[in-house]
Amino acid sequence: MSNLATQQQVQHRKLLIDQMVLFFRALHHAGLAVNSANLIDLCRCFEYIDISNRNEFYAAARTTIVSHQSDIARFDEIFEQFWQQPEKVLLNASEGDESDSVEGNEEEDDKAKVKQEQQADDDEGDDVAAHDTLSELAYSADEFLMQKDLSEMSAVEVERARELIKEFISIIANYKSRRYVANKKRARLDFRRMMRRNAMFEQSGIFMAYKSRRIKKTKLVLLCDVSGSMERYSSFFIEFIYALRAELPDTEVGVFSTRMTMISEQLQAKSVEESLAQVSEQVHDWAGGTNIGGCLREFNDRFAREMLHSRSVVIILSDGWDRGDAYLMREEMEHLHSRVHKLLWLNPLLGAADYQPICRGMQTALPYLDYFLPVHNLESLAQLARTLRTVWR
Amino acid sequence: MRSGSPLFDSIEDIEHKFADQGYITDRMLATTVYLSIVLGKPVFLEGEPGVGKTEIAKVMAKVLGSELIRLQCYEGLDTHTALYEWNYPRQMLEVRLQEARGVEKDQIGRNIFSEEFLLKRPLLSAIQAEGDVPPVLLIDEIDRSDEEFEAFLLEVLSDFQITIPEIGTIKSKQRPVVILTSNRTRELHDALKRRCLYHWIDYPTFQKEMRIVEARVPGIQDRLSGQICRFMELIRQEDLYKRPGVAETIDWAQALLSLSADELDPDVVYATLGCILKFKGDIEKVQEANLKQLVDRALMSDGNAGYSSGPGN
Repeated sequence: MSNLATQQQVQHRKLLIDQMVLFFRALHHAGLAVNSANLIDLCRCFEYIDISNRNEFYAAARTTIVSHQSDIARFDEIFEQFWQQPEKVLLNASEGDESDSVEGNEEEDDKAKVKQEQQADDDEGDDVAAHDTLSELAYSADEFLMQKDLSEMSAVEVERARELIKEFISIIANYKSRRYVANKKRARLDFRRMMRRNAMFEQSGIFMAYKSRRIKKTKLVLLCDVSGSMERYSSFFIEFIYALRAELPDTEVGVFSTRMTMISEQLQAKSVEESLAQVSEQVHDWAGGTNIGGCLREFNDRFAREMLHSRSVVIILSDGWDRGDAYLMREEMEHLHSRVHKLLWLNPLLGAADYQPICRGMQTALPYLDYFLPVHNLESLAQLARTLRTVWR
Repeated sequence: MRSGSPLFDSIEDIEHKFADQGYITDRMLATTVYLSIVLGKPVFLEGEPGVGKTEIAKVMAKVLGSELIRLQCYEGLDTHTALYEWNYPRQMLEVRLQEARGVEKDQIGRNIFSEEFLLKRPLLSAIQAEGDVPPVLLIDEIDRSDEEFEAFLLEVLSDFQITIPEIGTIKSKQRPVVILTSNRTRELHDALKRRCLYHWIDYPTFQKEMRIVEARVPGIQDRLSGQICRFMELIRQEDLYKRPGVAETIDWAQALLSLSADELDPDVVYATLGCILKFKGDIEKVQEANLKQLVDRALMSDGNAGYSSGPGN
């Protein structure tokens, strides 16, 4: 009898763990970050919670598995689909499993066979359910409204542009961190190192250690207007983006015309062609209309929290032709300005001798900009670097 | 079937004890806290500002009757401020004193890297804490610190031990109850999150917020607090730059109580809007657009029996 009981115990336990593994697979396929560590954590929880209580089980599973707020909805969905079985056999079985481990299980013996049969059916059902979930949740390819062929600059120009951009970045991208590093320049005494070198205890002289603030890289966010009016500058901008990313790999890049699309991930592909292909797949509003306010709002709401901190520099590349809501744009510019260190607007039109920023979008944006500078060709880029060097900070 | 922990018997126990201290939890949060104690893992709390993340640690310390050790994070926070630092002036003084006392030259300064000259910072005090109950270690606003500190914390949180090269490894006698909070101004590294139990604190439901107001603002009439919570529920659906949290609800309820308002009316709401909205743009938006309408809706649903269902019923 007791032998049989242990066997069943083991079997139940195994079934439970199998279910968990299936559950984890479903979560994994849905794109949640699951790993064996949180699977083990969840199984450890069973010792302490009543897993026949759905709420308790849900709470334990969510707290051990989910580690990002945006994953909660997806987790809930999978959880529902996976455990919402009409017979609720799964949970009953697991309940039995738990109580075995402490007390005897007379009842269990009777039920065991039935349960196992049900369980077997259920396993299949679950597998199917899991697969259904997968196909439902599978990422549907984006709408391809427009794909754009991106032309090129000459090799020499590219080289020159890269140099200039490098210079440009070195001006805006370094700042003094709050952390200290050893430094020979006499800025601040580093007592820690002085004591360590023991020089204090020798009569012959004292070793003086100094430290200074470390130079840290600014986080750059580049928002690039790819609406129809900006089309003629696109090849230049693509070079610009690439040179920026080469210098500061964690620069975030977004493109917008009617919608904001962050393309930093796509830009990580090894070759330029490859990532451009990916980008033009993702960005469906290339050379479309312009709604700067709406796009900025999308950026502020969805990305700004993660991507910006008080030391960030945001660069907007746009001609300022806006067909959206000016009030909205003003509001969003204000928010953006308030949460970054510097806000730059690079405008290709500003290069023309007779240009006045009178279009509505530009008018709206001007009060919130730290720098409003021209950029349309190599000379202007060189000028940009020169200007910034004199006025930055 | 259930083995309790020495600190709390069960999840319900946590709910009750926290409620006694005026902190209303929900099942999800109570379970997370309970599991963090039995599994010995830190809790990682995220949520909008003002939903009571930091408060949990404070209440936890009160409930356990233990010490609250708080580490406020900021950019540039380093091991010297978080963990330990040598007391340099005392070390130097000690050396000079030894010289004056005529201690032999090779013996001078031998003792200056001992515990006597160690300044304990929050993490070290949490690990070294004595006593019957473990201390509560609150690592507040971890998103404000930088990546280096995050990486360092990883080590401390997984082993609860600290190595000081001159002294050796110090291991905690009892695992402190660790609570990390983040406002999500930046995304934290997965490695850190993986070592923790994660919980997202959302804005409370109407019923929960009612209970919170009752617990936190004694003496408030049900009628008023119902209207307040309804109004908060409505205003959080508005398109605002910064939506008000529970902290704002409590402030506002206290403000209204001290103005001896019996119920919401547009004038008193207008006058006290600064309690709940902290941005000029938000205040303007609510004022010009639909303040009166919002108040009316908050009052209207108040007429329906009970304070049960959501807005727009």
